[in-house]
Amino acid sequence: MIDINQLSHHFTLGKKGDQTSLSVLENISFHVRAGEIVTIVGRSGSGKSTLLNLISGFIRPTQGEIIIQNQKVSEFDESEFAEFRLQHMGFIFQNFQLIPSMTAYQNIELPLILKGISEQARKKMTLDMLKKVRLEDFSGHYPSELSGGQQQRVSIARALVLEPPLILADEPTGSLDSETEEDLLRFIQELNKEMGITFLIITHDDEVARIGDRTITLADGKMVESVVFS
Amino acid sequence: MKLKDQFRFILQNMKKNKIRVFMTVLATAMGCAFLIVLASVAFGLHDSILRDTLENRTINEVEVYGGEEGQGITDQDIAKFEELEGVRAVTRQKSVQQEAIYSVDDFQAYAPTVAAHFPSEIASGAELAEGRLPEAADEVVVGHHFIPLLTPTEGNPDELYNEDGLIKEELQFDENVIGQIFTMEIAKTDGDQETTEEFDVKIVGVMKAPGREWEWDQHVYITDDLLDELETFTGTPGAALMDPSTFEDVSAEEVPYDQVTVIASDLESVKNVSEQLEDQNYMSYSIVNEMEQMNTLFTIAKAGLIFIGTIAILIASIGIYNTMTMAVTERAPDIGIMKAIGASPKVIKRIFILESSYIGLIGAAIGIAAAYVISILVNFGLPLILEAAFDEEMPAGLQFSSIPPLLIVIAVVICLLVTILSGLRPAKRATEIDVLKAMRREI
Repeated sequence: MIDINQLSHHFTLGKKGDQTSLSVLENISFHVRAGEIVTIVGRSGSGKSTLLNLISGFIRPTQGEIIIQNQKVSEFDESEFAEFRLQHMGFIFQNFQLIPSMTAYQNIELPLILKGISEQARKKMTLDMLKKVRLEDFSGHYPSELSGGQQQRVSIARALVLEPPLILADEPTGSLDSETEEDLLRFIQELNKEMGITFLIITHDDEVARIGDRTITLADGKMVESVVFS
Repeated sequence: MKLKDQFRFILQNMKKNKIRVFMTVLATAMGCAFLIVLASVAFGLHDSILRDTLENRTINEVEVYGGEEGQGITDQDIAKFEELEGVRAVTRQKSVQQEAIYSVDDFQAYAPTVAAHFPSEIASGAELAEGRLPEAADEVVVGHHFIPLLTPTEGNPDELYNEDGLIKEELQFDENVIGQIFTMEIAKTDGDQETTEEFDVKIVGVMKAPGREWEWDQHVYITDDLLDELETFTGTPGAALMDPSTFEDVSAEEVPYDQVTVIASDLESVKNVSEQLEDQNYMSYSIVNEMEQMNTLFTIAKAGLIFIGTIAILIASIGIYNTMTMAVTERAPDIGIMKAIGASPKVIKRIFILESSYIGLIGAAIGIAAAYVISILVNFGLPLILEAAFDEEMPAGLQFSSIPPLLIVIAVVICLLVTILSGLRPAKRATEIDVLKAMRREI
């Protein structure tokens, strides 16, 4: 599913003429199989968010390659990556990243609109997804009218509505209380089992890391450990 | 992303900033209305002058004055004209060079007399209201307004006319002129002595009234044979009241026509016929010559006014640019989220360009409606104001403002182009938004 080969990344800091280079990832290589839940853990500044952003295509790597579903995405231009994200990836963000002026229904419907799906099919898919995340009674609510857990479920529904084979999650429980966190983790495991969706989860939370089939640990931009859970 | 969804999307976005969008639309509408109203003045005046020109002439006529060296037109030339491409008829007339006096019973009239070639007159479109064409030398056809010329020979001349200067109705000749024998009195001069001769003519037909209300036809149309008789009597060409000793034998000499008109088969052929005549070194004049000069002048005026109007739309485009730039800044987080979940830069760009075009289109639609209202008010109100201010009546049918469909198309195209251009830069900025910065609300 995902092949990361010799991936390095550094940020250029400072003004022109007085620039310094800050290395955040160095020679990262790993493989994620289809249907796995892989968690990436590490302390703040370890480079885990940068790694996720590189895999998502939000930033381009300085060195190395990223292959997802046999496509060398690290060579894609912005438009190609956008299309690839729409077709193959779903995203769950720590602070949900819902559009505040859109209702729960409209937020979930957005990827379907971008993909050009007909209105009738969109309606069915969106309502099914609302039902799946148990928010059918909140379809007309705006994000500000929903709890953190509900917002995260809308975010998950939006990530799942196009049934992508891969979901990238950046601290998905970061803004949730412990009870909601448990609910969400259970839901992720269900989705993984039922739909065979591959999850790549960035977290610093041990509870979250435990749901993974495998955990990759990063420290100072380097991969220090890869643990496979039985 | 489907176009329909893109439209729904931009409507949703526009609703968020109703007042700002409304003000931008208003500015665009004002610019568009200004452009249309300004240019409509040139269109209106052009229409009025063109209509006036066309009303004063038969549009498919080409008047031929003669050769470039001043030689008159004879039957040889007429034959050439008739061979030209796109010619329907060639009318030719020779005028009797004195005012003949026509008398019947107690009425008489001084009427202009012309020898016409009747078949070509009919082919040119002239029609008889009643009667028939002359078949004998002494048969004539009279113009539709010949009868009102007939004045009673008896009675007080001061009491003959009404307020309009016409013969009072009860004193007018009220018999049917068809079949009436009139006496035609022609004068000739022999040195110092002037003598007259009477010729009997029979009216066999009356021409139809000319198409235009103001045009009066008081002619008496005689045959070439009768003209020959008159010329023989006076000894002068055209039966002119001049000393015959100064002329050669008039019967042996071919007298050129006084008025020759080539009638083109349609308006499109007029230019072609004019060009052919010019190629053959004839001096001619048609409405096309006049219209070409006028059209050039007004085209320049229209282009100038449209250019000035476009400046107003350009000023409005600053508002659109501002609105779109603010929209991009405000929606940066949303754009970031959309890009993150798979919206391509092309889609983002298209949404913003569509939004600015939509503002332009709504502005143009409102501007067009406003321009029509202003145009109606100008056409109705301005003559009243000018009449009141200058105490002078405006010419009938004068139109100050006219909005043809072409002007609407031009205004909409300019409006759309300008609004699309003003939306381009903000749209490009939207595509350049960094996803991570936008999602962190750092923009």
